[in-house]
Amino acid sequence: MSKISRRVLRSAVVAVAASSLLAGCAGAASSAETVTYWAAFNSKDTQKTFQAEFIDAFNESSDDAQVKLDVKQWSNIGSLTDTAVAAGRGADVVFSPGPSSALGFASSDRIDSLDSFAKEYEWEKVLEPWAYQASLVDGELYSIPTGYGSIVMFYNPAVFAEHGWTVPTTAAEFEKVATEAAAAGMIPVGAGNSGYQAQSEWYLSAVLNAAVGPQKLYEVLTGTAKFTDPEFVDAMTTLKSQIDKGWWGGSANSYFTNTDTDMFTGLANGKVALYMTGTWSFSSAGSYFGEAAGNDADWNWAPLPALSDNVEPGVYPLAIGTSLSINTVSKNKPAAAKFLDSLINDPAKIYNYMAETNENPAPVVVEESDFPASLDERIARLYKDIPKSSNLGYASWTFFPAATDTYLYTEFDKIITGDMSPSDYLAGLQKTFDGELAAGKVIVPFAPTAG
Amino acid sequence: MSRTATAVPPQGTPLRRHGRTKIRYRTRGLAWAFMAPLLIVNLLVIGGPGLASFFYSFTDWDGLGSANFVGIANYVELFTSPAVLSAIQHNLIWTGFFLVVPMSMALLGAFLLSRVRRGQILFRVLFFIPYVLATIVSSIIWRQILSPTAGIGQALQGIGIDWFADTNFLGDPALALGSVAFINNWQWWGFLLVLFLAAMQGVDPALYEAARLDGANAFREFWHITLPGIRPTLMFLMLMTVIWSFLVFDYVFILTQGGPAGSTDVIGTVLYRTAFSENRAGYASSMAMLLTVISAAIVLGYQLLRKKLKWEV
Repeated sequence: MSKISRRVLRSAVVAVAASSLLAGCAGAASSAETVTYWAAFNSKDTQKTFQAEFIDAFNESSDDAQVKLDVKQWSNIGSLTDTAVAAGRGADVVFSPGPSSALGFASSDRIDSLDSFAKEYEWEKVLEPWAYQASLVDGELYSIPTGYGSIVMFYNPAVFAEHGWTVPTTAAEFEKVATEAAAAGMIPVGAGNSGYQAQSEWYLSAVLNAAVGPQKLYEVLTGTAKFTDPEFVDAMTTLKSQIDKGWWGGSANSYFTNTDTDMFTGLANGKVALYMTGTWSFSSAGSYFGEAAGNDADWNWAPLPALSDNVEPGVYPLAIGTSLSINTVSKNKPAAAKFLDSLINDPAKIYNYMAETNENPAPVVVEESDFPASLDERIARLYKDIPKSSNLGYASWTFFPAATDTYLYTEFDKIITGDMSPSDYLAGLQKTFDGELAAGKVIVPFAPTAG
Repeated sequence: MSRTATAVPPQGTPLRRHGRTKIRYRTRGLAWAFMAPLLIVNLLVIGGPGLASFFYSFTDWDGLGSANFVGIANYVELFTSPAVLSAIQHNLIWTGFFLVVPMSMALLGAFLLSRVRRGQILFRVLFFIPYVLATIVSSIIWRQILSPTAGIGQALQGIGIDWFADTNFLGDPALALGSVAFINNWQWWGFLLVLFLAAMQGVDPALYEAARLDGANAFREFWHITLPGIRPTLMFLMLMTVIWSFLVFDYVFILTQGGPAGSTDVIGTVLYRTAFSENRAGYASSMAMLLTVISAAIVLGYQLLRKKLKWEV
């Protein structure tokens, strides 16, 4: 190697080292001001809208904090977050698929109490009381819910008109529609778990809330009643008899090969009469109906009918799909809190975002004047109804602890196939729940009259 | 000649031995130096997590918080859990299926193909294509084919054949495991065929000629020449089939997630659900340990058999 080339090499090494050092310093300086946030979206358009309205808008208005959005997939954001947070790393703003998951982070000291920020930003006044309550762990706020919805009953108004049906609100009306739909060769109630085994929890949450009722569920979740009580046994026995009649998903075998897509397609083409599922489907329902799907069908929804005479019709099982917290190891906690506040402090902005994307909004206290005119009337109706309703229930994936919820939908298969009796199933459910209740893994639910 | 012979120091003198030992040490040192990066990576990514799993299998760790020692409670639950015992049974059925069906298909296919002179490459490519398809792609294709509402059953019914009109391959607990195994086999057997074919091409052609001169038919050629000739490949693939059958996860998870009613659950799916849905990482670690022990026992058994029967591999 010649002298010149050695000199050149030495200079290059020094330059690289210096630039690395400078870059490192710059990185350190910018990381002190940067809040990292991992999020997943249903579509690229939704991601772009969120980026523009929440991330870019925040970054433009904030001098002391900048948010860096890192986009993940829905299929793995939970496991990625769990792994990173368990290793003492992860984003500053920690994603959880609901307050039950946030409770796990809180119990292991992976996320911080937000009480001081809650006082500073008055989050108790900003959030709906039930949502604030559900986000408490031992009386302290540990997460901010940023997306909520419910389970409702989807139907095709034209199909109902064709058969002369009215939307069922009572158990008797539900049975009448189901009987006539079955006689007409339709699937009375869309159901299936192909591709996503946890789909069963949507139907089970609907049934438990509509057949047993929120009050009884509240008592179970607070340890004063049991899943083995007669109300639950009756509800599951009735459900089993309806499955055997082919009301849910068409037949026991087809239940295991039906998908969510099949059921919405069935609603559109008149092969499925009713479909009880989550309001996250507001964002995708349009793709099965009307011009986008090449048909002239349309959809609508109604609150769940009562599935027994002891429950008031129209229960809304509430579900929080996204809860955000602040990582214990975050070096920018005030900035992270400021960003969290920006996600929930402007109801008009939240509902404007919903009008553009049909995504579920944060459970914030909202005035009807905050609803933009462009928001689909069907979606607006839900979010105007829920705050007025005193008939609020509990979605299993939000209020049941992890193992109990997993048992609920995995072992339910055995009820369908007849390999397990409803009472044995409920005994197993209670046993699993007892273990988690004793271990402090159950969030304290809101009282059913709240709302 | 004799002078030359006496001039050379006799073999095995201390000086010579010392030099050879030095070379041997140097060669070994060099070998270890080459292997070191890989060994370090292995220790870090396999040894470390493996030891951690062993430790966590004696705890109630939820994957996030602190891990409390629970003794052998996880192992007691493991061997008394109906879900785990059923999953082990399914793994055994899976192993039996994959030791027999794809192995037989691939051996027969490779033997027949080895006799084809024209178009052999085309067949090799055709049989190998399923193997290069992503698992998710072939799973979705087959889910559509076996769909009770839009699949082969309905298509056949359209032309008057009602054989599968009411058959729900993936939704019927009695058929689901076999259906998933069938789909996995569709991808797998072509790979085995290509390996067997390559091994068969290494068998000395003179042996076949001699057998033919002695009047051996095709079956005798296969039994007495081909099979012994490819034994190293055959034994290795059988060993790997058994190990892979206990580690199976992807097809089951994509197609049925262990359902309906646990009828396709294998240890891998139960482990995944336990760790990531129920948040019982400690208990799931005990399942991982069970898988490790099973794999180790299989390899050990194979090695013992190999020594006893004096196999080359």
